[in-house]
Amino acid sequence: MKIAITGIGVVSAIGRNCAETLDSLLAERSGIGMMRYLGSAHTDIPVGEVPYPNTELRRMAGVGDEPLPRTSLLGIIAATEALEMAGADCDAFISGTTVGGMDLTEQHYNDYAEGKATEHIRLHEAGESTMAIAKHLPALASCHSSFIATPSTACSSALNAIMLGADMLRTGQAKRVLVGGAESLSKFHMNGFNTLMILDRRPCRPFDAERNGLNLGEGAGYLVIEREEEARTRGAKILGYIGGYANTCDAYHQTASSENGEGAYLAMQAALRMAGLQPADIDYVNAHGTATPNNDLSESAALIRLFGGRQPAISSTKAFTGHTTSASGGLETAICVLAMQHGLVPANLNWSHSADGLIRPVVHTERRPLKYVLCNAFGFGGNESSLIISAEGRELTEQPTLGNLTPLCSVEQVDDTDISAYVSSAEGRRMTPQMRRMVAAARRVLWQSGIERPDAIVCATQWGCMLQSMRFLQDMIDSDEQELKPTPFIQSTHNTIASLIAILTGNHGYNSTYSQSNRSLDCALMDVRCQMALGRIRSALVLEFDEQVDAWDAVLSRIGDRTHNIAKAYMYKL
Amino acid sequence: MEQLIEQLKNQIIEALNFEDMTPADIDTDAPLFGEGLGLDSIDALELIMLMDREYGIKLADPKIGKTIFRSVRTMAEYIQTNRTK
Repeated sequence: MKIAITGIGVVSAIGRNCAETLDSLLAERSGIGMMRYLGSAHTDIPVGEVPYPNTELRRMAGVGDEPLPRTSLLGIIAATEALEMAGADCDAFISGTTVGGMDLTEQHYNDYAEGKATEHIRLHEAGESTMAIAKHLPALASCHSSFIATPSTACSSALNAIMLGADMLRTGQAKRVLVGGAESLSKFHMNGFNTLMILDRRPCRPFDAERNGLNLGEGAGYLVIEREEEARTRGAKILGYIGGYANTCDAYHQTASSENGEGAYLAMQAALRMAGLQPADIDYVNAHGTATPNNDLSESAALIRLFGGRQPAISSTKAFTGHTTSASGGLETAICVLAMQHGLVPANLNWSHSADGLIRPVVHTERRPLKYVLCNAFGFGGNESSLIISAEGRELTEQPTLGNLTPLCSVEQVDDTDISAYVSSAEGRRMTPQMRRMVAAARRVLWQSGIERPDAIVCATQWGCMLQSMRFLQDMIDSDEQELKPTPFIQSTHNTIASLIAILTGNHGYNSTYSQSNRSLDCALMDVRCQMALGRIRSALVLEFDEQVDAWDAVLSRIGDRTHNIAKAYMYKL
Repeated sequence: MEQLIEQLKNQIIEALNFEDMTPADIDTDAPLFGEGLGLDSIDALELIMLMDREYGIKLADPKIGKTIFRSVRTMAEYIQTNRTK
């Protein structure tokens, strides 16, 4: 079968739709500038803001004054464009995010203590911000009873959403899927990246020898994907095809990428293999290219390993949009489709100094026909994903039925004494007690099953790593964004658990995380079942994680809810 | 100086969550990164925050930490010369 792309939709600092985005790419007009709407105390940090206040975004999205995070507003705008272009309803919706409704939480946190503004609380959850997008789009009406999922693997979230959507088409689990991601700026992650000392005070310069960090951006990007026959039958215009894709784990460090770019290299190589292509076939690479010293050197190492002396056109579009974090894989894939449709390679703005070990990007937007395009998105914890878009359809294997899945073994209870047996105090020093419990459960199930390195590690979590998130949030509010520590931020992302276990066990295999309320585990298992049916994986470690947090319970008590300690590990095997 | 070294060791243990360690477990002249305590880039950032919080020393470039954080002694010497509180 072939997977056709029949709609794309985007919103970012360089445009509120495809036409404006294309115009900015051609004019080499960056959207990075001084902050206007975020309201952070760090006014010296440039950002790629979508240049409209929420009131204006609401008007564009066609919604009233009901509670909605900015992430959802951006999502509705881009999703509407993609769905209208495709001209048909979808029966599954997969949208990556990490920030979710954090903007509402940081804005209303003190109100919650007084019992005010409680209608916003539920929207903190990544999965709820996705549900809020679906609720406002009639073309997604049937998704509520079929399938909605929120992959949350930090900056590779949206690319992982596209992969699951493609897998669901190949296994007959959906007929037409809206895939991508949305993410707004928040004070939380702006301050978080600031503690990592990787925010450039000037416009970012990806792959430049003198680059000095990234600029954060925000936005959303979606694709409508469906079987080629389906698209042809209904007379839809085909914009391009999904050629191949892969997700790996660098399994190196919580924030740093490995020197030789191992995870990135493996992801690009596997995507090429799936597409049946050679490196020389690739015409353009939309690199992750954040402009941090570490990412660009590591990604360059991987690109040089893969392409050798025959480097294709490469650019990072983050100097246009800023790093739109969880949305980047969706936004940049949509930019790749636009580039292919209009025969152009977008510029890597602000580049002027070359250095050994760094790839040499395309510095001006060039007109040239593109047949195969590769898009990279990498996240914290080494969650690396690569996707190939092709102008002509690539035949992908299919398996129209999913097998049943029963765990080979499971660990649902870990005693305190077991924790010290499975997690040394040195390796556990940064982890919260519940994170240590989770690592112990995972290690025990690996030992019990005799499978040291399963082909996949997939985590399901409702609230994510909430204790570290709340520590960071409270410090941020109490100190007016002045006295913050990096460790709670690094460990606040939902994918902390799955990537940590990959790092501790040296596992470069598939690695993902889902956050979808009480259906998070269903989403994780859908992913595992699709991949097993397609023969991509034969074993999977599935984790269920949540932590009880007093500070968040005090908020949740206002809506009659609370958090729970959950640390369960299951091994599935074909 | 010895008093500063002792105080600094306690602050490092707390900031980097070395729960089971005491100041006596940290060799004043041993490397902090790589071998010795085996610290990494996240710890380097935590130490930069510590320098600001406790001694009013602002290090704008994370790379500069490499020389200052060679050992507890090099850190203490830098603090003694540059502290603003």
